[in-house]
Amino acid sequence: MPAIRKNTVERLDRPSSYATSKNRRKNNRRDDDSRRDPTPEFEDKLKDATTLYVGNLSFYTTEEQIHELFSKCGEIKRLVMGLDRFQKTPCGFCFVEYYTHQDALDCMKYIGGTKLDERVIRTDLDEGFAEGRQYGRGKSGGQVRDEYRNEFDPGRGGYGRAYADEYDD
Amino acid sequence: MADLDVKFDDREDRRDRGRYNRDNRGGNNKRRRDDEDDHHYTPRDDRRGPQRRRRDDYPRDGQRRGRYEEPPFPKLRRMIVNIASTAKLPEDESIEIARLLRDHYDDEDIRNQFFDVFVQLIVDQPFKIPFVAAVAFYGNQVKAEITTEAMKRVGERLQESLAAGQWREFKLLLRFFACLQPIFEEDGIFTLLGQLFDTVVDLQSANENDVVGIELVKIILLTIPYAIASGGDRFHDKANELLNSTGIVAGNTLPVEALIHPYDDDIEDTVINYHSVIGLLQQQLTAESQSGWKLACIPKFHVDAMQRTNPEDTLQATPATHVFPTFTIPSPVNPGSKPLFPEAYFSLFANQESSIVPALNDIAASLIRDAIVDTIDQLDFNREVVAKFLVDLDCYWSHGTFANRGIALDKFLQEFGNDKATYKSEDMVIDAIFSLLFKLPTPEHKLVYYHSLITQCCKAAPAAIAPSLGRAIRSIYKNLHAMDLELGHRFLDWFSHHLSNFEFRWRWAEWIDDLKLSKLEPKKAFIVAALDKEIRLSFAKRVRQTLPEEFSLLIPERLDEDNSPEFKYEKPETPYAAEGQMLLQQLRKKATHEQVQETIDRIHAQAEEQGISDVLVPSTDAFVTAICRLGAKSLSHFLSCVERGRERLVNIAQQSDSARRQIVTSVVEYWKDQPGIAVRIIDLLLNYTILAPMTVIQWVFGDHMGAGEALTESWVFEMVSNTVTKVTNRNRQIASARLQRGLPAEQVEMVDATLTKDRDNARELFRYIEDACRGLAEGAADRLIEKESSGALSAEDGQLIRAWGKRWSMVFVRKSAIEESVVGEQAVEARIKFLAAQPEPEVVELVKVDEANGAGAEDGDTAME
Repeated sequence: MPAIRKNTVERLDRPSSYATSKNRRKNNRRDDDSRRDPTPEFEDKLKDATTLYVGNLSFYTTEEQIHELFSKCGEIKRLVMGLDRFQKTPCGFCFVEYYTHQDALDCMKYIGGTKLDERVIRTDLDEGFAEGRQYGRGKSGGQVRDEYRNEFDPGRGGYGRAYADEYDD
Repeated sequence: MADLDVKFDDREDRRDRGRYNRDNRGGNNKRRRDDEDDHHYTPRDDRRGPQRRRRDDYPRDGQRRGRYEEPPFPKLRRMIVNIASTAKLPEDESIEIARLLRDHYDDEDIRNQFFDVFVQLIVDQPFKIPFVAAVAFYGNQVKAEITTEAMKRVGERLQESLAAGQWREFKLLLRFFACLQPIFEEDGIFTLLGQLFDTVVDLQSANENDVVGIELVKIILLTIPYAIASGGDRFHDKANELLNSTGIVAGNTLPVEALIHPYDDDIEDTVINYHSVIGLLQQQLTAESQSGWKLACIPKFHVDAMQRTNPEDTLQATPATHVFPTFTIPSPVNPGSKPLFPEAYFSLFANQESSIVPALNDIAASLIRDAIVDTIDQLDFNREVVAKFLVDLDCYWSHGTFANRGIALDKFLQEFGNDKATYKSEDMVIDAIFSLLFKLPTPEHKLVYYHSLITQCCKAAPAAIAPSLGRAIRSIYKNLHAMDLELGHRFLDWFSHHLSNFEFRWRWAEWIDDLKLSKLEPKKAFIVAALDKEIRLSFAKRVRQTLPEEFSLLIPERLDEDNSPEFKYEKPETPYAAEGQMLLQQLRKKATHEQVQETIDRIHAQAEEQGISDVLVPSTDAFVTAICRLGAKSLSHFLSCVERGRERLVNIAQQSDSARRQIVTSVVEYWKDQPGIAVRIIDLLLNYTILAPMTVIQWVFGDHMGAGEALTESWVFEMVSNTVTKVTNRNRQIASARLQRGLPAEQVEMVDATLTKDRDNARELFRYIEDACRGLAEGAADRLIEKESSGALSAEDGQLIRAWGKRWSMVFVRKSAIEESVVGEQAVEARIKFLAAQPEPEVVELVKVDEANGAGAEDGDTAME
């Protein structure tokens, strides 16, 4: 039996370059500390992934809307909304957990890159939600990408927050 | 050459038109790929293609640039993967690839890698099979080993798929051999087709309801035309002989086929009557044989093309002929891991008088459809590429099969109105996608795949696809009353989802007259349901903006406000108002169990005074409504409230069936303007086993049905089918756990016991639904009779309700029959027997599959119990 059959067409259910590069950064750091046991390989971690990171949501998109769309790929086990660290309001991302890996892959293929609430959303395989990850990591509490945005995005709080602060001062 | 240029211009043109929505880009470059609406997928290897061509066409300063010589394997790979998709003649491409391969044939790595791609291409990209086969065909003229190796590699994969019952792959790999028919000695592929038919005879005589044989006949019938197209007239007799034998099987109708009619055949003038795929194929092939096997749409290759292009570069001797490889048809035949069913041929456009798509008696209908469908279903992992292939459909069939891309309908009718052999490619694509969306009993992939594929096609070629799509929608809408109800719901779900991807743009105004219809009319029910579904994916104010005023009236004004639905206990006239408010306070402040019980007892006391028989009903109403109010902010809020009251809810459920059904009533009543949320909540309560599946079904048909009016509410259908699906999914998981090889004896016993019990529960559930639906369909339901005789319901409305009842009934009778065929005693036993007869190597693979299912079953357990 041949080992792995590579499709003649690229697959949309692969982890994104973001997830891969994040892993690479981690690996680099780990190299410095060689005594620690190696953590399971990145691909291994995602090979049974049932969770997806969902990005580019509008701040106003509700859990119900997300449920309505994402349950088209299978029953949702858990939905964790991404929140602004300080205000505890939605800040434009979420984690969707399915019961099966296949549902998560199908979601990558069929829902990633389509619209929810009239915005093209991004899905990425995720190693699984952990407490704390629901909060934005930007300086002002939201996602980093919303700190320094030059364009006005009404669904994500207008201009980048770093600039908005400048104007306020 | 002239028309090739046109083709190229065409392509540029499409690309421009695609750029219609630049402004929507999010601005973040990192996310460009996702945000860009006009994203055109180009396979990685494709990138170099056009650039190179351009460089060749308009050489710049050749010396300064230093020519880059592409290494042989990447070049071969790029060429074969993109075969027939470029502006070159496919014939020339095949010859070029064959020659290049010959030049590097001694390099084992290149050879191996090339044939890996070669085989995979057949399975991945069905449109290209004739062209890929042409490489082996011309390869035979430059170096016979190329053909020998190709046959060996494709043959290995073919044998593997045959052993595993992977019928689609088997069919595609077989087509490759059919396309090589001219180079085989004697009968070539017809020997194998004959053997396959012998197997069919065995299967059919062993079991009159056999479906594997039907699948095999389909494969045989779809292989014949390719073998004739390539092999020519010396095989006509063989083909006719085979057709004579398949006739009986193809013309036969199985009882289960009565359940998969997309449209009710009793109603005249609908979109399409029932035709089985193999029945139709048999007719079309018979017609084709009578008109001399023209098979106009299949691309053909000239034997002497090689000599024409480069006379001195050809083997001097006549090309070798080959013995057709022998394959083993396993006995018993492996039916494959997916349940098989007979298939209905579905087309939205075939019944129209003009030949926008091939007529039903035209073999092109089945051939092109089959290839489109396989392309779509094989490549579900990249809808962007599929959309590109579909837009390029005309590249893969013989010249003249299709009118120019994106031709307007009136222009098409003018030019090709009487030409029965020229079709409109966009309509064929849309027709094929809908046939998959509407496949009964179950679609190949999740329905949302077909949603996103249609969206993708609209992005890839908006001006060409959109008009066809509009015609499709109108045709479906017009015949909703005759369409299978499950399909009607698939349409509804697709329609609302599709619009949500395109700013909710639809010409609602053309349906304005239908607003006057009775609520019981399928068209009116569809409009109401579509708006609800749109709102679920967006919000009321937004959807309202996209509608003519008349439609806007269907959306309750309350939904424009940004607050929770009203809490009925806030109104003093509501019975138990004080207690209801108290419960809300107590829940909010996380009061103790005793404190809550005190309030509940007060309701019980009052209810008892009023002579209410089950006092748990009003107290449950207050308790559940308070939970809904407190958890109204979001589903997470609701879930954390349910957690707080879980123990009490479980107790209620155990004490009284009517109180248990009251839970459903309260949820639905609280969310009456947003039934989608109620449906979602009921689903969650089933997971918590606060509700049982039977509770929901009895609530629907007992408490909520009225005289049958509720049959028109799409959310009610959704609630019932979600509940049924939950039950059947679980049973399937248990059944697949049972089929695990090497399951210890004590576990076999345990799993068997669970399966027996749950199977009986599911049967009871189905029986309940079927009885209730039949009662309404036949007009025998008590409340329907009452309302009709009192005049509260007009005779027409009574007839409408009967029709709804009939459509509901059909859906659940089908679902029940399908489940029997998968998890019923007979089905499971047959599967166990088959597995037991399999040799060891199968085990490894099977255990792996079942592990996945087993894990699913465990998850299901925690969710259900």
